[in-house]
Amino acid sequence: MGAFALGVVTTVAILSTRDAESLTPGPRNTTPPQLADTARFVAHNEHIQAGLVFPRDSVLLRNPYEGNADAAATGAKLYVAYNCVDCHGADGSGAMAPAFIDGRWHFGGSPAAVYQSIYEGRPDGMPAWGGLLDRASIWRLVTYVRSLQQGKDVATENFTGKTVERTGH
Amino acid sequence: MRRAIAGLLLLAACTAKDQSADRGGAGAAGPTGARIAAPRTGPANEWPMPGADYANSRYSELAQITPANAANLRASWTFSTGVLRGHEGQPLVVGNTMYLVTPYPNVSYAIDLTTPGYPLKWKFRPENAQAAVGIACCDVVNRGAAFADGKIFYNLLDGHTVAVDAATGRQLWRTRMGDIKRGETITMAPIVVKNKVLVGSSGGEMGVRGWLAAIDVASGKELWRGYNLGPDKDILIGPRFKPFYAHDRGTDLGVTSWPGESWKIGGGAAWGWLSYDPELNLVYYGTSNPGPWNVAKRPGDNKWTASILARDADTGELVWAFQVTPHDMWDYDAVNENILVDLPINGTTRKALVHFDRNGFGYTIDRATGEVILAKPYVSMNWSTGVDMATGRPVLVKEKMTNAAPKVKDICPSLEGGKNQQPAAFSPQTGLFYVPTNNLCMDWETREVAYIAGTPYIGAMAPETAGPGGHRGEFIAWDATTGTKKWGIKEPYPVWGGALATAGGVVFYGTLDGWFKAVDASNGKVLWQFKVGSGVVGNPVTYVGPDGKQYVAVYSGIGGDMGLLIAGDVAANLPYDVRERGSTLPDLARWTSWGGMLFVFSL
Repeated sequence: MGAFALGVVTTVAILSTRDAESLTPGPRNTTPPQLADTARFVAHNEHIQAGLVFPRDSVLLRNPYEGNADAAATGAKLYVAYNCVDCHGADGSGAMAPAFIDGRWHFGGSPAAVYQSIYEGRPDGMPAWGGLLDRASIWRLVTYVRSLQQGKDVATENFTGKTVERTGH
Repeated sequence: MRRAIAGLLLLAACTAKDQSADRGGAGAAGPTGARIAAPRTGPANEWPMPGADYANSRYSELAQITPANAANLRASWTFSTGVLRGHEGQPLVVGNTMYLVTPYPNVSYAIDLTTPGYPLKWKFRPENAQAAVGIACCDVVNRGAAFADGKIFYNLLDGHTVAVDAATGRQLWRTRMGDIKRGETITMAPIVVKNKVLVGSSGGEMGVRGWLAAIDVASGKELWRGYNLGPDKDILIGPRFKPFYAHDRGTDLGVTSWPGESWKIGGGAAWGWLSYDPELNLVYYGTSNPGPWNVAKRPGDNKWTASILARDADTGELVWAFQVTPHDMWDYDAVNENILVDLPINGTTRKALVHFDRNGFGYTIDRATGEVILAKPYVSMNWSTGVDMATGRPVLVKEKMTNAAPKVKDICPSLEGGKNQQPAAFSPQTGLFYVPTNNLCMDWETREVAYIAGTPYIGAMAPETAGPGGHRGEFIAWDATTGTKKWGIKEPYPVWGGALATAGGVVFYGTLDGWFKAVDASNGKVLWQFKVGSGVVGNPVTYVGPDGKQYVAVYSGIGGDMGLLIAGDVAANLPYDVRERGSTLPDLARWTSWGGMLFVFSL
């Protein structure tokens, strides 16, 4: 329990420090790190557990780029540069990791929730990017990722009356 | 021609006589003169190894089920594994106990076959890091366990190998073999050779550096590890290394066939099936694709990715290697199984290894030397016009090279290959191989990629469509002595489950849309089929129960690489949903749903 409390405090501290940086829009570093640099950046936080309460500070977690097409376009580049694309699929169609197009947000679809997922990582192997990406870059990714949603989750899928050509059998 | 046939018959008669005297059964050559090279030594009523025997034949001597009575097959009992992801792999049956391993979290079960209701003898839930789920490229599958010395051995997705007491379910040892922080997971089924458990890594899409390793059965201590890429000393290349082809010879080719230090993150994993020839004391396996898929990053042959390797089982020394697809630019791994058979070819018996590569060629190879005896397409292909028999290298079609243009259209087969992990079976009775295949083509678009440890290292995308004919899969019978297809059963979806051949003359396989089928081994006539609970990506096995009856068991449970999109939707607290993977698997959601179930059939 103590370790958890400390973790939350640390997270808040990092956010506060980074807040100043985000005043200057533009990714701090859009060039992906080279081989030698990477080990210290990427941690798959196996200790992150579902249900950990992230500080929901509405001021800290408001997307400065909400609806900003330029930010989304930069976010699309970051999405490729940081290999998001190979897990979540081109255009967010999903693959090794969940899709973004179907309205099923496993950990919440609000800007703050998506930010949190990118920052903290998720228990099924989503890396914790908070140690690698600056705040502005994460918000640009949030803007892009949320723009991929094509509709709300559909409760009913009715297959009757559909004709799909099938060969074989 | 006639003389050749007479010679074959004579040879067959001699071989059959030699073998039946001491081994009988699966060791005997059939009427075609073909025989399994390393037949099982234990009772025919068990299923003791992932591939039935060291040869990976997936053949059983059991013969109660025949073409005449297969129509009377019925479901005897079922068992839910409690896990919903892709159930590749197969049960083991040893001494009236069935052993199962599930996909992540890799729970194992021992089922008592002697008691009505089939109660569990034990259940083992290993410690297994959850983060591994997102590091596995192609669903969180596990391809099964090995049994030896009263122990069950299997791999955990998070890079560990465990040994479990087969009687009690108690963990005996747990050895860390891979590192998920560097993209390494383990999904393959180990085999045990003498005192060693042999294990290989997954992660060809994650910038790993692939390896095969041996672990001491008793202690769990690593005894040797041979990398598939890098300097000769790491690969365990020494004076015994004699590749058949000149271009495969040289010093440190695992370094010099790569730019800079890119071999350190060049893929070449070993996630497929292992075979073993006790007479030659060689272990055979295939290596995965080179990484990344973006070929601009890695000019050169990229040895020893997309290769078949033969190692000394005691020392790990590499004895020969054959690079099936040099400088693979289509994600055509060579991980598919190598089936060890002695085949009559042109009047002589060849110690063969038969390998249906992702690249679409069915190879018959001399397993002592690595010489390609023949290589013929077993599926539709357009990326190569054939294999140059002087060099063993495929002859490329320029416009189907993935760097021919930023976007290359209609390459066949697709990156899933003419077949993939779904293992073929061999029957010495018919001399035929029964091969579950894909019929898919792809477009290819290359994009930039940078290496970030623990994330994918790919740099391309390759949407797939149905191949010529519109069907997406076909179950075929193949004659590896001539490289010809004997018959085929077209399927609407890729046949992602393995095959089982039996002495009764019946062959079994399951489909992605959930049909489990019994087929006449001689002509491909479907004798019986049953709609199981979920699509089949597992491999059928057969055994005799304590009641003396022959049973056939298979996992149902859709997933695997063919379930990529399906897998992407899964979290423990969400409703499950089979989703169609773009144009690759249209309408699939209508025909099947998630579910991890063992189905067991009998007459």
